[in-house]
Amino acid sequence: MARSADGQCRPSTDVLVRTRDLTRTLGEGDAKQTVLHGISLSISRGEFVALTGASGSGKSTLLYLLGALDRQTAGEVWIDGVEMGTLDDDDRARFRNERLGFVFQFHFLLPEFTALENVILPIMRRGSMSRSAAEDHGYEALRMLDLEELYYRKPGQLSGGQQQRVSIARAVANDPAIILADEPTGNLDSTNAEGVFQIFGNLAREQGLTVVMVTHDTDFAHRAGRQIRLKDGRVVEDTTRDVPNRS
Amino acid sequence: MSQTLAALRTTVFVAMRQLWERKLLNGIATGGVALGVLVLIAMNGIMLGFQEKFTSAILKISPHVTLFDTELRPQPALLQRFTGGLVSAQIAHESPSERQSQIKRPYEIVRALRTIRGIEAAAPSVAGTALLEFGGKTKSVDLRGIEVAAQDRVTPIHQYVKSGHLRDLDLSSDAIALGSGIADDLGLHVGDTVHAASPGGKPLDLKVVAIFEAEVPPVDKTRGYTTLHTAQALLGRTDSITRIEIRLEDPDSASRVNERLERTFGYDGESWQESNANFLGIFATQDMVVRFVIGAILLVGGFGILAIQIMIVLQKQRDIAILRSVGLRRVDILLIFFIQGVIIALVGGGLGDVLGKVAIFYLGMLPVKSEGLVKSETFLVHENPAFYVWGVVFALIVGIVASLIPAFRGSRVEPVEVLRGQIG
Repeated sequence: MARSADGQCRPSTDVLVRTRDLTRTLGEGDAKQTVLHGISLSISRGEFVALTGASGSGKSTLLYLLGALDRQTAGEVWIDGVEMGTLDDDDRARFRNERLGFVFQFHFLLPEFTALENVILPIMRRGSMSRSAAEDHGYEALRMLDLEELYYRKPGQLSGGQQQRVSIARAVANDPAIILADEPTGNLDSTNAEGVFQIFGNLAREQGLTVVMVTHDTDFAHRAGRQIRLKDGRVVEDTTRDVPNRS
Repeated sequence: MSQTLAALRTTVFVAMRQLWERKLLNGIATGGVALGVLVLIAMNGIMLGFQEKFTSAILKISPHVTLFDTELRPQPALLQRFTGGLVSAQIAHESPSERQSQIKRPYEIVRALRTIRGIEAAAPSVAGTALLEFGGKTKSVDLRGIEVAAQDRVTPIHQYVKSGHLRDLDLSSDAIALGSGIADDLGLHVGDTVHAASPGGKPLDLKVVAIFEAEVPPVDKTRGYTTLHTAQALLGRTDSITRIEIRLEDPDSASRVNERLERTFGYDGESWQESNANFLGIFATQDMVVRFVIGAILLVGGFGILAIQIMIVLQKQRDIAILRSVGLRRVDILLIFFIQGVIIALVGGGLGDVLGKVAIFYLGMLPVKSEGLVKSETFLVHENPAFYVWGVVFALIVGIVASLIPAFRGSRVEPVEVLRGQIG
């Protein structure tokens, strides 16, 4: 992996994400509130993890910390051998671009751009390939999600399920190490939700992608390879199940 | 591909697309800038058009430098210099001298002047006020006694003669050339004889041989020319020369030349800028007012960009969050809004240039009768390519300054805060 020059990197080759005493407080003074209390966990490559918990349990905050979008108050977050706390703002942006893929509840596509353009934006930013190569790559990602015929449409011309699949294509197309999804099914009907869940499962099983998904849906949580349940900023349950077809 | 180039390409791609997809808002911002540039070009065109016309009118009919018959004060006495202004005696009520002032040895001065480099022509003349009477009407004129050929080289009057011939002045001792305004007022035509008189001089009947119209109303309505001798007799100033008028190769050097001539010859002189200081002063004020107006309009254009961009930044928090989450840095977000501001300014500036060009064209054809300082049938519009350059330059400055605040604001958007707000 590109960024393991740190030396302090954990020796395990299989562990992709590791947190130690991860703490996050929000607000100041009397409004100060500890959202995460010393979370320590590790996630291996290829795992499909469901983060669950009630509203305000800190699951989204944990996801943002794993996604280098937020900064911890104390503790460490290692992703792919890099401790996020040591990176400055620009380095984190670059890290997100090259190593992470995000899927959000409200699809979060840029309305002015076509599906394909939305998908290739992270690749363009990375600058690792020409525009036409990036388009081929993005088209491939759309095809994988059965969207190849809609590549020219703008988000406004797509259904909610289609939009969410486009945003998954965007997350996947730039070859990330981890996909971080924040309630990706929360805004979809059950059919589309099931479809999106299946896609994540396949990405983890067939492509060895690590997927961390925040969800409210207990069914999905049970069917994921691993469920981590948070309550009041602490891990109260961490179950790994045998998932069929796992290579 | 380098990171920087990839970042730049992405920001330009996003900036252009967002700009294009918000045609109405950005069109309004662009229109505001274009309007500012249009006003800049049109107002400058009108102002300069009038001023240039006025200046060229002054320069065609007025001498560049005039030496008068007032001797510059001699140096203060030696004693006075030491005592710091205290003198032993002072005359309490000095009665004015009867002796009329005049330039001493004027022809030697004129000859000397003609040898000085930078001086194109010099002509001696006598000036005074005379009353003209014709058909029961009287009118006071600013009478100039001139050497026709020499004066014509300094102020080319013959170019503006409407009827008659200026050279006929030299043919008879009782001829006069008049401005068209005087001729109209008195109902005179070439060939008419007018009665002229001045206190202290000899009344004469003068025959009108030429009527000129320089299209400078102050001259056309007051000026009359006769030969030197005729004027000297009429004004009662035999053999006097009261002014020497000078034409320079470079009119802009008039002040400098005037100072040198004053020092050399010891007579009070005046450059054309000094003679017209009142008008030039008005122009300076006018320029200031116009610049103020232009500045205000460009400022309003800038606020247009500012308001619309701020609004877009606030509306686009989600998009900013998503761009940041896929790896755009703060500086990339800043650049997106900055590029948009600059493009709005450039397009607005270009559009303003085109509109300005059209406005200049039509203003130049607009019939406006002007009879004040200069005579004209249409708006006097001056077109200077520099206006167009300045229009774009100012638009750009305004665009850059106005988009800085929104761009900075956009770059401060924290993706987590947006996501948290959305998802809870």
